[in-house]
Amino acid sequence: MTRHRPEESSAQTRSARDFDTLYRNHVDLMYRFAHRLCGEVEAAKDLVQETFLNAYRGLDEFRGDAQISTWLYTIASRACLRMRRKRKGAPDRELSLEEFIPTSDGEFRLQIPIDGLSPEAALHNKQLREALDTAINQLPKKYKMVLVLRDMEGVSAKEVGTIMGLNERAVKSRLHRARLFVRRQLSARGLGEPLTDHDHTPVRERRSASHGTR
Amino acid sequence: MAPGNRSKRQQSSASTRRKQTHGKARCLRILRQLSAFIDDELSGNICQEIRRHLGACPNCETFVTSLRQTVSLCRHSPTPPLSAANRALMRKTILETTRVR
Repeated sequence: MTRHRPEESSAQTRSARDFDTLYRNHVDLMYRFAHRLCGEVEAAKDLVQETFLNAYRGLDEFRGDAQISTWLYTIASRACLRMRRKRKGAPDRELSLEEFIPTSDGEFRLQIPIDGLSPEAALHNKQLREALDTAINQLPKKYKMVLVLRDMEGVSAKEVGTIMGLNERAVKSRLHRARLFVRRQLSARGLGEPLTDHDHTPVRERRSASHGTR
Repeated sequence: MAPGNRSKRQQSSASTRRKQTHGKARCLRILRQLSAFIDDELSGNICQEIRRHLGACPNCETFVTSLRQTVSLCRHSPTPPLSAANRALMRKTILETTRVR
C-alpha cells in the first residue's frame, strides 16, 4: 500500500496551500530584488527558485515575528551569497572612503549629465540606464546588497541590518561607500554629451542609420 | 575652474577668499557625512553647519547634487517584470524539487 496516512496528506496539503499563498504574494517582489542583485534574467530566476525552495522548507519555522518580506529578503541574500561564489562577478574587496576623496576641484565637480531631467525621464535614456546597471554590477557584492536593499528596494537601514546580520552603523557605512562608487562611475564615465529626453537612440544605431541613407 | 570663463574669473577672488576661510579639511569632513545628510539622519546643528558650508563651497554643492541624483536614479531604476509563463514555470519547478528531494 502506498497511500499516505490521512494526517500526513493533510499536513502536506496545508503546507502546499501556505506555499502557494506565499509564492503568489511575494514572487514579483523577490524577482525584482533578484534581478537587481544578479543583473540578468537567468541568474535572477535561479535565485528566486532557490529562495522559495528554502522558504518552503522553512515555512514551519517562520513564526511571523518578522515581516514575511524581511524573512524572504534574508533567505534570498544568503542564497545569493552562496550562489555568487560559483559565478564570476565583481571582485570581493573592501571599498575605502579614501579612494572616493577628490584630489582636485575637477573631481569634486564631476556631474551626472542628466541635464535637469527628472530621474524617471533621465532613465528613459538607454545609455544612462546601462551606465547605472554597469556601475551597480561593478560593486563588490556586500556593498551592492546594501545599496539594492536600501536605495532600490526602499528597505530601512535597520531592516537591512536584520537581513544581512549587520549593525545599523555598518549598513550606513557600506551604503555611503556604495553610493560614492556609483556616483563616481556615473560621472567619471562622462557619458559623452549631456543626455536629453529625445536622445533614446544609441550612437551605433544612429551611425548605421546615417550610413544607410548614403 | 574652467580656464577662459570670464564671468567666473571675475567672481574668483571672492570665492578664493571664502575657500581659504573654510579650508579643504572641512570639505572632506562633510563628504564623509553626505549620505547621512541626504537621508536626513543628522542632528539639526550638524545639518545647519553642512548647509552653511554648501552655500559657500561650489565644489561640495556640486558633489552633493550628484550624490542625490545617484540615489534618485537608483530609486527609479526600472526592472523588467516577471512573465506569467515564467511565474508558473518556476512554481512548478520548485514544487517538483520539494517532492523529489
